[in-house]
Amino acid sequence: MNENDPGVVRRLLVVDDEPIVGKRLHQVFTKIGFEIETYTDSATALVAIAERPFDVVVTDLKMEGIDGIEVLKRVRRQNPATQVIIITGYASPDTAELAQQEGVFAFLAKPFRLDELKQVIFRAIETQARGK
Amino acid sequence: MVLRDLLKGFSFPNWFTPKFCRPLPLIFSQFREVLKANNQALEIIADMGEKLSGEYLFDLRYVEATVEEMIAAMHRAIGAINILTQDQCVALHEVFIPMETRVRAILNKRDDREGPPLLWLTEVETRHWPLVGGKAAHLSELLHNPKVRVPEGFVITTRLFHDLLDLNGLRPEFDRFEQALTETGFNEDELEMLRRTLQKKVLRAEPPSGLLETLAESLTRLAGSSELPLFLAVRSSAQEEDMDFSFAGQFHSELQVPPRAEAVYRAYLQVAASLFGAKAIHYRRQVFPEGSPMTIAACCQRMIMTRASGIIYSIDPMEPGSQSMVVVGALGQGQAVVEGQVPTDFFRISKGEPPQVVERVIAAKHEALLPTGATNGGLTMQAVANGQSEVPCLDEQTLLELARVAIHLETFFKRPQDIEWTVDPQGALYILQSRPLLITESERGKPKLSEQLEDYELIAVDAGRVAQQGIGAGPAFWVETLADLKEFPEGAVLISHRDSSQFVQVMHRAAAIVTEVGSPTSHMATLCRELRVPCLVGVPEIMAKVANGEEITVDAEDRRIYRGRVVELLTYQATTTMDLHMAPEFRMLRRILREVSRLNLVDPLMQEFRPEGCRTFHDVLRFIHETAVLHLVELGRDDRCLPGGLARRLDLPIQAGILAIDIGGGLAPDAPRDQVPFSAIRSIPFRAILQGMLFPGAWHQEAMSVSFRDMMHSMMTTPQDTLSGQYTGHNIAIISETYVNLCFRFGYHFNIVDAFCHDVERDNHIYFRFLGGATDIAKRSRRATLIATILEAFDFSIQTKGDLVIARTSNLAQPEMERTLDILGRLIGFTRQLDVQMTDDETVAQYVEAFLMGDYGIVARQGS
Repeated sequence: MNENDPGVVRRLLVVDDEPIVGKRLHQVFTKIGFEIETYTDSATALVAIAERPFDVVVTDLKMEGIDGIEVLKRVRRQNPATQVIIITGYASPDTAELAQQEGVFAFLAKPFRLDELKQVIFRAIETQARGK
Repeated sequence: MVLRDLLKGFSFPNWFTPKFCRPLPLIFSQFREVLKANNQALEIIADMGEKLSGEYLFDLRYVEATVEEMIAAMHRAIGAINILTQDQCVALHEVFIPMETRVRAILNKRDDREGPPLLWLTEVETRHWPLVGGKAAHLSELLHNPKVRVPEGFVITTRLFHDLLDLNGLRPEFDRFEQALTETGFNEDELEMLRRTLQKKVLRAEPPSGLLETLAESLTRLAGSSELPLFLAVRSSAQEEDMDFSFAGQFHSELQVPPRAEAVYRAYLQVAASLFGAKAIHYRRQVFPEGSPMTIAACCQRMIMTRASGIIYSIDPMEPGSQSMVVVGALGQGQAVVEGQVPTDFFRISKGEPPQVVERVIAAKHEALLPTGATNGGLTMQAVANGQSEVPCLDEQTLLELARVAIHLETFFKRPQDIEWTVDPQGALYILQSRPLLITESERGKPKLSEQLEDYELIAVDAGRVAQQGIGAGPAFWVETLADLKEFPEGAVLISHRDSSQFVQVMHRAAAIVTEVGSPTSHMATLCRELRVPCLVGVPEIMAKVANGEEITVDAEDRRIYRGRVVELLTYQATTTMDLHMAPEFRMLRRILREVSRLNLVDPLMQEFRPEGCRTFHDVLRFIHETAVLHLVELGRDDRCLPGGLARRLDLPIQAGILAIDIGGGLAPDAPRDQVPFSAIRSIPFRAILQGMLFPGAWHQEAMSVSFRDMMHSMMTTPQDTLSGQYTGHNIAIISETYVNLCFRFGYHFNIVDAFCHDVERDNHIYFRFLGGATDIAKRSRRATLIATILEAFDFSIQTKGDLVIARTSNLAQPEMERTLDILGRLIGFTRQLDVQMTDDETVAQYVEAFLMGDYGIVARQGS
C-alpha cells in the first residue's frame, strides 16, 4: 500500500487534546488524498467512530476523560478491522504492554516525524485490508 | 637543523618535547573531546531545527527539556576548547553569558522586556525581534536589502511598553487581562471591563524619566538626515504582527506626526492602547485560541512626500493559481487606499520575465489624502488638480519596478506578500510594509489535490530527505562551483551535487534547494530552516534528470519533484502553510532557534572570526571547531612538538619521503617498525591522500629518468632535495585512524593538509595550505591561481594572498571526504614542480583544464 493507490479513499480519525496534532495531520493527510476527521476530545471522537467506519484511528494516550487506552478498547470492540495507533509523549513499558494486549497496531513516541506516522498508517491500512 | 631537532626527540624518554608541548596523543584526545562536545551541542540544535522543518509533531515540554540539554552541551564545548588551547578562548565564557540569558528569557516568555526602549531600524538584529515586533523586524530586514528602499526611522520597543505598565501601576490588570485571554469560559463582561480600563489608563500613562529627552535626540538626528521637513509615521509593530499573521488594520497608526518628543510619545500611546481595542482582541482570540501574551512596539519612520501610494499583492488572492499580481493605488497617502476612502486605479501584472502590465482600470481620482501643511501635522482629503484625476497613479516604468520588488519580496520571505508602497514626487519607490498575504480558498467543488497532481510528470518520488518543508517552483539552476552562485537568478531552484553553507548567499533569492548528497542536519539545512527555503537533500542523480534552466516544482513535504510549474501545489502552499506556525510551541521554538542556530561567522577567513564576533550558539560552536582545527594545524608545524622518536618511514611506490607518527590507530598493529608499506596504513584520511598521490600519472614520475629516481631515493636517507637544491624540512604525517596532519616540503612548495574524517559528517574537515617561495612572484601567483581554481571547482572555500592559498571544506560525508582527499593528493603530486612550467597566464587555464579532465600526463609531456 502506498499513497499512490488510485481509487480507494482511506478514512482516518485523529483524536488528540493538543489542537496542533489534528491540524497538522489534517494538512498532511488531506494533501495525499485521505478523508480525515480530527477531534480534540475523545468523547466526541467516539461518537463519530460509532457512526461511521474508519480504516485507522490515531489517538493520543493521555487525555481528559476517556484516555487513549479506553479509545483503543472501544474501537477494537466496535470494529476489529479498524487499526489503532497510539501517539504519546509519556510511553511507559506498562502502558505499552497493556496497549499490546488490547490489540494496538503501533505505539509512537512524540516528537516523531510525520513521515514515520505516514509509514505506520500505510502499514496499518495494509494489515487492515488483508484482514477484511 | 630540523633533523637535529628530530634526533633530539629520540633521546627523550617520553612524548614530551622541551617546552610548552603536551604529549600528542593527549592533545589529540583533547581535540576529540572538543569535537564530541561540539557535536552534542550541534546535534541538539540540529534536532530542534529539524522539529521546525514542519516534519515533526512535538510539544512545549520537548522545547524546555531540549533547551536545558543544549545549554549544558554548550558549556561542555567551551570548557573543552579551553582545555585544548590552554585557555586561549576564555573570552567565550563571557560571550556566551548574554546568549544563554536571552534564550532563558524566551523560555520564561520575558524576551520582550530586556533591551533598550529605543532602537534605530538600522541597528535591529534578529535578537531584537521580540523587542521591536514583527513589522519593524521585517522593515529592518528590508532596510539591509539593496533592492528595496525603506524610509528611515527608529522603533519604540516593547521594553517601553513594559516600563509603562510597571511605572503606572498597570501590571496587575495587564496580567489579569492576559490570563483572561488564555482561559476558556472566562467572564466576558470582566474581560470587557479590563480591556477598557487598560486602554484608558495606557492613553494617560506617564513616561519614564529621560524618555522624552531621548526621543527628542532621536528626532533631531532623524531631522538632520534630510533637507526635507520631518514628519513621522508612527505605526504599530506587535509581536507576531506581520510574522505569520497579518493583523492588518487591527492596530492604530498615526500619520504626519510633528517631530516633537511629546507628540511622538502621545502617538505611541495611541498605538499602545490599540492593543486593547475590541477589534484587535477579537482577531487575536481567533488566531490564538490557546492564548499568547502580546505586547506592542511602534515604528517611527520619516513620512515620505507622496505622489501616489497603494498596495501590491504578489499573487492575485482571487486566483492564486494564476501567474499574476495585482496593484491598487491612488494619489496621495496610502491610508486612504487601505481604508477604502478613495477610488483606486487597478493594475494586473503578469509574473513572467520580464513582468508585463496586462490590465489597467483607471479610476477618476478627484481627491487625495495629503498633509494639511500645518506645523502640527495631520492629513486631510484634498481636491486633485484639474487634468490629474484621470491619469494613472503609476507610470509603466514604476509599475514594472514595483512588480520586480514584489517578486523579489515574495522569494525573500518565501510566501505571497501584501506590500504597501509609496512613490515620492521624484518617482522614487518606497516600501512601507511587507506582510504575508493570507489567502483562503474554498475547498468545495474542487477536485482533490492528489487527483490534480496526477497530470504532472514526476521527476523524483520519495526523493531524499526533507531539510525544510515547503513547496517551491522555478527554473533549475545548477551550482557546480561556488562561483556559479554569483549568477544565481531570482526565484530559481538551486540544484547542486552537495550542500554548502555558502549557499546562504543566494537563499533569499532561491525558490527551493535540492542536493544530491547532504543531510538534514548540515549547516546548510539549518540555514534553510532559518530562512524557510524549501529543501530536499540526498536526492540521487537529480542533476542527470533536470536540465539547467528547466522549470521544476519541488514538494519538500511529500518529497516529490515535478517537471514544470505545478500551479495547484503552489496554490495549496499559499492557502495552507500559515496554520503550521500558529501553535505556541512552534513560535517559541522558532524564537529560540533565532538566537541559537543562525550562523553569522560563515567565513572563517574573515576578520570578525573571533569570540567577540559570535552572536549565536552556532557561531560559538563554529568558532570552537575552527579554532580546534587551527590549533592542530599549528601544532603540526611546530617542530618542537614532534616526537621524532616515533616517526616511521613509509615505503611507497613514489619517493615522497614521508615519516609517519601514529598517535592512535593510524597504522596496522603489526606494521613494521620501519619502511611501513601502504597496505599497513589504517588512517582513513591519510590513505585517501596517498591514494591520490599514487594515482597513475599524478606524481608524474614517468618523466624522471631512472637514475634520477635512484638519486632521489638515495637523497631521502640524507635529507636533501636535489630537485630544488634546498631542503627546508621534513615531510611529516601525524596520523590517527580518523585524522591526518601532513606537512610537505617539496623544494619551493610547502603544503599542509589537516583533515579529520569518519562517519559523522559534521566532524569532518579538510584544511589545505599551500605556500611557495623562491621563484619570481609572477610564477608563484600563477601556481596559486591554478591551485585555487582547481580546489574551487571541488567546492573548497578559498583564500589567496600572493602565493599563499588556504582552502577549506567541511561537513562532507565520509565517501565524499575520501574522494576529495584523493583529489587533493593528486593535486599535490601534480603541482610539485609546475611553477617551472607555467610560463604565462594562459598555461594556467590549460593546466587547470587538464587536471580537471584527469589528464595528469600534461606535466610529463610539457616538461620533457
